[in-house]
Amino acid sequence: MATHPAGSHGDPGLQPERTTLAWGRTMMALVTVSAIFLRWLPAHGLPILLLFAVSAGAAAAIYFTQRHRYSASSRGIARENVDADITAVLWTAFAGVALGGLGIGVVLAG
Amino acid sequence: MTNSEQPASANTPPSRGKIAERLLPGGEEPDPRFTLANERTFLAWIRTSLALLAGGIAIEAFTADLFLEPVRKGLAVVLLLLGMLLSAGAAVRWLRVERSMRNKAPLPLPLIVPLLAGAGALAAAVVLIFILWR
Repeated sequence: MATHPAGSHGDPGLQPERTTLAWGRTMMALVTVSAIFLRWLPAHGLPILLLFAVSAGAAAAIYFTQRHRYSASSRGIARENVDADITAVLWTAFAGVALGGLGIGVVLAG
Repeated sequence: MTNSEQPASANTPPSRGKIAERLLPGGEEPDPRFTLANERTFLAWIRTSLALLAGGIAIEAFTADLFLEPVRKGLAVVLLLLGMLLSAGAAVRWLRVERSMRNKAPLPLPLIVPLLAGAGALAAAVVLIFILWR
């Protein structure tokens, strides 16, 4: 088995990079959605700030965990055992459900 | 490197969190590449869901001159509801795939695919009928 320097995984499929980039793309989509929510602010008022907070907060949470995510998946590939990131998956799905539910509430109330 | 040469920590599976023990019980740890691939597929569904949410907001916010109010609100609610269901469905699918991989079982069919196709077709039909009727 080849040895790898610290922080390297030696995976020719570049799984840690691809997965971290996928989270980065999701973060950018959340930033875009939060910007579109702000366009609703003049029409629907302060409740929109809650929608903005959920989407921008989810994007910030992804941003601040990216370094940990990359190093954890690199270590996991190197030792052939990656923990399924169930917490991140459930929180991200919850953010999507919350945004949809709050958005429907705003549409029906407005 | 043989097993006897590996440090003890390499052979000991890391302890899993309580949520993981509860929602992903039993089985064996799958190939880490498959776990990461499952996570990327989940994220692709979440981005699809976010695109639908953004579309729903955009229809409500920017098409006041184009659609009658009931049509506009109806379309926005359909898209937002679909985005919401896809987010939840993406998490359910991620869990089902992860469980199947742990138990070396066949992967489940994606139920969110017909959901997306059906609701997308419904939204398109509403727009088409409105344009023809107008």
